[in-house]
Amino acid sequence: MKENKYLITVTNEEMLNWKVKNINFLFPIEGYSVGFLKTFSIEEVQTSHSFLYINRILDTEAILKLKEDLKKVTQNIIGICFTDLGLIRIVRELGLNLQLIYMQNHNTTNASSINYYLEDVDSVLVSSDITKEEIFAILNRANKPLVLPYFMRVEAMYSRRTLLTNYENHFGLEKENRKVLHEEISKMDFLAVENPYGTVLYTNKFIDYRSIKHENILYFFINPIGLDNKTIEGILKGEDLSSISDTGFLYKETYYRLKEEEK
Amino acid sequence: MNLPELLAPAGDLEKLQIAYLYGADAVYCAGKKYGLRANANNFTIEELRYAVKFAHSLHKKIYVTVNIIFHEKEVEGLEDYLKELDEIGVDAIIASDILVIKKAKELNLKLEVHVSTQASILNGESGLFYKELGVTRLVLAREASIHDIESIKKQTGLELECFIHGAMCTSFSGRCILSNYCTNRDANRGGCAQICRWTFEAEEEKEIFSMTPKDLNLIQYIEQMIKAGVNSFKVEGRMRGIYYIATVILVYRRILDKIRMHNLKEGEVNYYLDILNRCANRDSAPQFIEILPTEKEQYFLGRQELSNQDFLGMVLEYNEKTSEVTLEQRNYFKVGDIVEFFGPKLETFSYQIEEIFDVEDNKIEVANHPKMIVKLKVNTKLNKYDMMRIKVFDKQDYL
Repeated sequence: MKENKYLITVTNEEMLNWKVKNINFLFPIEGYSVGFLKTFSIEEVQTSHSFLYINRILDTEAILKLKEDLKKVTQNIIGICFTDLGLIRIVRELGLNLQLIYMQNHNTTNASSINYYLEDVDSVLVSSDITKEEIFAILNRANKPLVLPYFMRVEAMYSRRTLLTNYENHFGLEKENRKVLHEEISKMDFLAVENPYGTVLYTNKFIDYRSIKHENILYFFINPIGLDNKTIEGILKGEDLSSISDTGFLYKETYYRLKEEEK
Repeated sequence: MNLPELLAPAGDLEKLQIAYLYGADAVYCAGKKYGLRANANNFTIEELRYAVKFAHSLHKKIYVTVNIIFHEKEVEGLEDYLKELDEIGVDAIIASDILVIKKAKELNLKLEVHVSTQASILNGESGLFYKELGVTRLVLAREASIHDIESIKKQTGLELECFIHGAMCTSFSGRCILSNYCTNRDANRGGCAQICRWTFEAEEEKEIFSMTPKDLNLIQYIEQMIKAGVNSFKVEGRMRGIYYIATVILVYRRILDKIRMHNLKEGEVNYYLDILNRCANRDSAPQFIEILPTEKEQYFLGRQELSNQDFLGMVLEYNEKTSEVTLEQRNYFKVGDIVEFFGPKLETFSYQIEEIFDVEDNKIEVANHPKMIVKLKVNTKLNKYDMMRIKVFDKQDYL
């Protein structure tokens, strides 16, 4: 069995001093990422074998600016994790030798689609919207090793609107760029994080997929937003974190056709 | 002047026929499988076959949504379904999963492939990615600005389709699974429970958190959008009724025709805007076309969605000899009411109801039973499927 490799989103600078094997850091990039409280300029990415995280849906102005900014990429940066498919073309056009990992978590729910994406990219993040059985079907059939959620908050919604600012402006409240929202019927909590490029609602509970093992995994993905470093290290050490996590949809299949009484 | 296509939603055959009749150049709908309105009536294959024949007999187009994000178990059956749609003769499918786009090309189908708004396209590079896959049209994200539209057109040369009217998600369409978490219903396979229209408690705040957007309405930007290169103006609302479809499509048909004739007046646009807002039961706003929406383009507490009872009746037939119109009642009306008739071949006109007759020609004072058949004397010639509504706005006041 090969050793696990981890891809961890950088949520604070202290993490960068960790002496842990097999970690590649993923830096949310200022101006091109959403859902993060801490972001970095491309020049600030000094750690070797790093990835840039560009998870914003890019409008015309943003992609033109990105094309310029990507010229600043140094040898420390080995790849980009992204969601806007337009990025593939600009990386090609600039002739950058970077690994590309497609991370649109809601689009990667079957092996056939993933294999089509893999014709253009090096790897793909497997969706967390599907069951364990579906994940294994994908891992078994994927033409390249994939990135698998390991321990993370799931991006449950991404809006271009500045929803927290709008709420605060409407009611004359103090400005905050993160807030926990509670939905009473489902008893679900979501963590809303806003920046000028939009608002992300994360599940407040993390999904814990640490039990999944498979040969066809390039990286295990950890998105620890909101966690302290001790807990993040606990993820890697296999500590029990059941108080802040659940198994998402691993054992709970979603449905979409309503029964008559639900209509 | 080459006008863009006016593209209407249709949840069933009746709505499809009304949409074409009221001026749509094309209609989009879904089959029983693979559409994002899984719980609408939708169309059987036989109904689709009929719909295609009907559309083509009018020299109009029909597109079918195949726009879910596929899980493993839905993949089997896709190829056969696409071949079936092709054999029926649908003009295009609207897809968001790369699997559907690639399959349609691999199968060498005659039908065109349009990329759904679910693909969140806001830049030309992203459009070119899909162009390389063989798509012929991009349905842009509703978050696209006029500048994005112009630029994408210039860069891709592809046909562009833009939503101009109707409800919208709070999120980028397709980038939300709140429904999955709150109800276990998969939003990206057609089960969306519209959680963004629910309310939330915000930690340490007394005020209820809401993120519901007002509807999209781009009536005042139509000319600008034509100049920017839009090829198809799309109206949302496959779950909406025939009155909504007829009203909205007719308004945009009239606007487009007036633009073609270079005689659209500002006052008319304001009149039509009031008609649209009234029939939707919701406030509307231009949303992202020029600026980033603020709290003013959202609903918070105090939102009222009044039930609209403006739609009074539909014309079943008109007897020119007796000037008698037979109507199917849709909402309460009575002698003395001031109403108006509108229809695709009709200049909207006001009318005060002086007498109402039942099917046995008895005089009655009120039409108060849903779908009851009544007769009125109306001197202006009416056509089947013209509609009668409460008169609220007078066009003359706007000119």
